[in-house]
Amino acid sequence: MSATRTPLLTVDDLHVRFGTSRGLVYAVNGISFDIAPGETLGIVGESGCGKSVTSLALLGILARNGRVTAGTAMFGGRDLLKLKDDELRSIRGREIAMIFQDPMTSLNPVLTVGKQLREPLEAHFGMDKGQADRRALELLEQVGIPGAKQRLRDYPHQFSGGMRQRVMIAIALACEPKLLIADEPTTALDVTIQAQILELLRTLVADRDTALMLITHDLGVVAGMCERVNVMYAGMFMETGTATALFAQPRHPYTLGLLQSVPRLDSGRRQKLMPIPGSPRNMLSDPSECPFAPRCRYEVEQSRQQVPPLEEIEAGHQVRCFNPVPADEWQRQRLGGAA
Amino acid sequence: MSIAELESREIQLEQPQGLWSDAWHRLRRNRGALIGFGLVSTFVLVALFAPLIAPYGPREQNLSLVADGCCPGPSAEHLFGVDQLGRDEFSRVVYGARYSLLIGLVSVAVGLSFGLVLGAVAGFFGGIIDSVIMRMMDIMLAIPGLLLAIGIVAMLGPGIWQIMIAVGVVNIPIFARLLRGAVLGQRENDFVLAARAIGVPRRTILGSHILPNAISPVIVAGTLALATAIIDVAGLGFLGLGPQDPATPEWGTMLTGTIRYLQTAPHLAIIPGIAIVISVLGFNLIGDGLREALDPKLRGRA
Amino acid sequence: MTAANGDALVLVDDLKVYFPIRSGLVMDRHVGDVKAVDGVSLEIERGETLGLVGESGCGKSTVGRALLRLYEPTAGRITFDGTDITHLGEGQLRPLRRRMQMIFQDPYASLNPRHSVGRIVGEPLRVHGRGGKGLGKTIRELLQTVGLPADAITRYPHEFSGGQRQRIGLARALALNPDFLVCDEPVSALDVSIQAQIVNLMEQLQEEFALTYLFIAHDLAVVRHISDRIAVMYLGQIMELSPADDLYDNPLHPYTISLLSAIPIPDPEVESRRSSILLQGDLPSPANPPAACRFHTRCPYVQPTRCRDEEPVLRPLEGHLVKCHYAEDVKAGLITPKQREAVFEPGAAEPAYEPPVV
Repeated sequence: MSATRTPLLTVDDLHVRFGTSRGLVYAVNGISFDIAPGETLGIVGESGCGKSVTSLALLGILARNGRVTAGTAMFGGRDLLKLKDDELRSIRGREIAMIFQDPMTSLNPVLTVGKQLREPLEAHFGMDKGQADRRALELLEQVGIPGAKQRLRDYPHQFSGGMRQRVMIAIALACEPKLLIADEPTTALDVTIQAQILELLRTLVADRDTALMLITHDLGVVAGMCERVNVMYAGMFMETGTATALFAQPRHPYTLGLLQSVPRLDSGRRQKLMPIPGSPRNMLSDPSECPFAPRCRYEVEQSRQQVPPLEEIEAGHQVRCFNPVPADEWQRQRLGGAA
Repeated sequence: MSIAELESREIQLEQPQGLWSDAWHRLRRNRGALIGFGLVSTFVLVALFAPLIAPYGPREQNLSLVADGCCPGPSAEHLFGVDQLGRDEFSRVVYGARYSLLIGLVSVAVGLSFGLVLGAVAGFFGGIIDSVIMRMMDIMLAIPGLLLAIGIVAMLGPGIWQIMIAVGVVNIPIFARLLRGAVLGQRENDFVLAARAIGVPRRTILGSHILPNAISPVIVAGTLALATAIIDVAGLGFLGLGPQDPATPEWGTMLTGTIRYLQTAPHLAIIPGIAIVISVLGFNLIGDGLREALDPKLRGRA
Repeated sequence: MTAANGDALVLVDDLKVYFPIRSGLVMDRHVGDVKAVDGVSLEIERGETLGLVGESGCGKSTVGRALLRLYEPTAGRITFDGTDITHLGEGQLRPLRRRMQMIFQDPYASLNPRHSVGRIVGEPLRVHGRGGKGLGKTIRELLQTVGLPADAITRYPHEFSGGQRQRIGLARALALNPDFLVCDEPVSALDVSIQAQIVNLMEQLQEEFALTYLFIAHDLAVVRHISDRIAVMYLGQIMELSPADDLYDNPLHPYTISLLSAIPIPDPEVESRRSSILLQGDLPSPANPPAACRFHTRCPYVQPTRCRDEEPVLRPLEGHLVKCHYAEDVKAGLITPKQREAVFEPGAAEPAYEPPVV
């Protein structure tokens, strides 16, 4: 675990709100986490839980109606949330890079791939075109694009989805950032392409000792890629811990619910799916009770009175719950056949 | 708690709201649209109540006022001054609103009715029908609007109905293209496929599923077309292709021949010009407001 | 492995659906075809759920739509309950449409945003002459069956969440009491916790109304859960057809094997122990599929003989149907998988083609 290395990024009590015509949206409601150099952290949650907003807030690229209302994000001795835009610009791409879900809209369709690769190199390292070109070629080859030399002159629409994602990864890693944030990087890709891209990410990140913050809704992806996992719901972490601990012994009813409701290839076929009842929480109010309570089978009276604090339930494993699930509950259900 | 109970609790928080009322509420909050609405209402009211508002008849001459040459400017009896033949400019502008309103509405109506039918047919049926119709529209669009209108008036002869038809015809390919594009866009929607899977007859699909969803850009374009129609008609009138009777208080016709008086009686050119600008601005603001209000991306839940 | 007792509700015989590619300056010329479906044969037994899986461009959605005649078949034959519906006119088809319906992937695009829920769910009833008295009651009952409150009738789709909209779509599909339901990726666009609700609902409805499903999806885990048999498609053809239980335990076609090994499993222990067979390169475009065996350009088990020149036949093997020359050898472990060289598709990512006109 990250015990021996000082964290690269430490986020403390982050709150983000959006002003919309329907009122304030409380997108992120107090999350804290850290990432050590070279570590892979997964933030898993469904749509609307605030996971993407978190990364946008860190890099200062929230939509105009979004505001960080509290919290700090210490990176390299500075609080990212307090930096001005030109200070942040020197960090974006250079020290913290980001890749997004849809490579067609995150790559500029009117610029060649070579130009988009050269941009960060010229901006951050002051390279001239020749140097930048050479480096760009190297990068394309490292992400596994054949015929890279000709490809530098091509436009994004001439690449398939999987290849565009490779280009995005190349651009992100161009300046050897310390932290790579990947927001649903494979959600839009086919399964076999997804496997390629995840393998690529795994290798590149390991080779360069880059920290990776992987944001996704896919539990399988997280299980295969991440050392530590934070489960997010309604803008808060419900459970955090190592991937091994979380998947084997989930303690939060939401985590358990997710695992129970996802069909698995390696389970018995007729194992009943146990869906989580209800719909995701309406984010138009600041939570004053456990946000998962309305959908929770394990709720107790206290769940409706206050928001449970995130507390350590065993070493390195934290849960936000007044009535956590017994440690062996999930294994019992799995091995006992249908729940 | 069953799923159905949970769902119904959440749904009750909202009033049933169609997309039209949703758009209406958004329109009401748009300041530009409200200003535009104010301008256009003024324009329409002035046109409707012209006889009550205008102090003089629009063709009433008072040659004594221009005995000393052209032309007395704004005064107490004549708010906007008088023109070369001693007619009250204010009254003429007020009555002119009627012409502009009528002409604008008729020409847009002509353009819309033909354009919509052609566009819907081309978009819905596709294939060779689409190609033929669209090539015809392309030919019409290849000629600049005003020139095409002039050409049509040249064929039909000058006159107020003729310029209305001319401006209307110029609008046809614009609406046809627009609706065709919108129909093509809607045709691929899953709910259209669902309607086909149910066995809904084709004409019902077009009328009940596709058109209502395709109509928004047309509404916006229609409003903006009203604005350009007013300008086009004024332009044709200024060129002398409109109402042949120079006494007609149509804003464009009123501008004919005022160039030589620019030094001595600038109000003759400026005032009808401002009237045109204000009414066109009004329609443009409403059109922009409508475009925002009807934008599908802003509909419903975030 | 065909339908055991010949009680096939739907019979598909060598179905081909090609979309013309047009290009040209003034008038579009027919320059080629996207072979979306290129020779698919299947039988769907009454009461069963047949799963159809594959990645983008494999043609699974096209098959589903062609079965409902939403796309015109270019060749082949479709038989529904004994009637050949391949070339029926719309008038003759309409009464049959009562018995086969579809639910769609995108909960936001499959409902007309300008119609109220009541109008949407009631439309099939009105179109088929059941729109008289008692319509309201029927609609309310349908809504209740899918777990929606009765007052949803006057509301509009945009007031509902994705999962709720899929329920509305289900209510609409069930309105006429169909026998056969084509489900085109019904849960792919939903959140994980909602997917399970809808899958469970669909299973419940199947039992209650004796429905036959064609369940189309790219998520093999979901398909495996709900299906009795599964067909794996690649580039317009079926590569393997097998009972659902067996597909994971005993995949026979190299593509199935690769696909299964690429699917992530939510269990870090399992993930770390797996050796995955990584398919290299992109999915070839259906406009220009590889000759002979469609999979030979990426197949980790490809052999120098036959794979590149001879198209394999979909043949029975160990209770499955497999379209591979060397499936036995692969199963026996006589061929070891090799890493192939990545072939990336040059040129445009997707060809511009036009699905046939309404």
